[in-house]
Amino acid sequence: MSDREIDRLLVERVREGDKQAFGLLVDKYRRKLLRLLSRMVRDPDEIEDIAQETFIKAYRALPQFRGDAAFYTWLYRIGVNTAKNYLATRGRAMPTVSDQAMNDEDEPDERLVAKDIGTPESELLSKQMVMAVTEAVEALPEELREAITLREIEGMSYEEIAETMACPIGTVRSRIFRAREAIAAKLRPILGTPEDRRW
Amino acid sequence: MKSVTTNSMHTPAPAQAHEADALAVSALVDGELDDALARPLLRRLAPGGPERECFREYSLIGDTLRGLDHDMPDLTNRVMAALEGEPTLLAPMRKPHRQRPALWLAAAAVAAITWGLWSAGPSPESPASLAANPNATPAMAANAPGNVMPYLAAHQDFAQAVVSPPEMRFTRVTLAGTGQ
Repeated sequence: MSDREIDRLLVERVREGDKQAFGLLVDKYRRKLLRLLSRMVRDPDEIEDIAQETFIKAYRALPQFRGDAAFYTWLYRIGVNTAKNYLATRGRAMPTVSDQAMNDEDEPDERLVAKDIGTPESELLSKQMVMAVTEAVEALPEELREAITLREIEGMSYEEIAETMACPIGTVRSRIFRAREAIAAKLRPILGTPEDRRW
Repeated sequence: MKSVTTNSMHTPAPAQAHEADALAVSALVDGELDDALARPLLRRLAPGGPERECFREYSLIGDTLRGLDHDMPDLTNRVMAALEGEPTLLAPMRKPHRQRPALWLAAAAVAAITWGLWSAGPSPESPASLAANPNATPAMAANAPGNVMPYLAAHQDFAQAVVSPPEMRFTRVTLAGTGQ
């Protein structure tokens, strides 16, 4: 089941009355939306308010979501419009950049990227997380590091990784899983994940 | 095809079962889990459960590696709290597979109409085809059913008005050849 199909299934569940399924979509796209909004708005509190409003508007508009476009593409449009309206009501203008530039994950316009979009505490947490993840990836055995990098950074499918690493798909799946578990083990103390929340 | 499968022939120990679940969540996050396993797993991703925690951690790791390192972890809770005041949606999506019978029916109807029109049209041996064939000979026309010739003779004037010149000439030749 592809990523897009998973989103569609989650949307289906929300539309069938399962509100909690919407929480998965929020968890999944929260950081991406925050990054988008940080290119339009500077104030962390405003970013959080706009992000919350975007998700609530998306929830209300879900009956109109036909699934022709990817869920994030649809959410992105709602986010941009919400930010525009928010700024307009306060007499402020949007940055004069194209949608493409705002959404360009590879080469973000540095003038638009807010360096700190959270509170000092959340910024500290973010830096700790980045450091922990970086160190954990560097400490991984070569085959696990390569597998997780090809997947998460290069965006390759399991099949493509299997070809690149000359190993079966099942091995790729296992290596990515083991890499994630090793990184997650370093993150849990920072995130304060209680032991009973994990197996 | 991507697939994570579980062996149903034996009951795994709890630790193995948990690892199998976490492995399935990992594949789900990557969009590489079979439909048959993905659907029930998605239903088990309840808030506070171990599968959900796994999903959250793996998503966070991926986003951090891709540079999406700024987060507001409380945002999900805020959104979900705000949604408690919202009505529950009851607007099921149209499923793509339900559209398929309609498409097949439409395609079958088009095919049937096309075939019907084609088969109702002039066949190679029909009198109309003979009349339209510039290579036809009087002998060929003579083999046509006998009741066609009076019809052609009676409608000769009308045929001149609508038929293109070569066919008109053929009609005249045919009639002349049969002595009418």
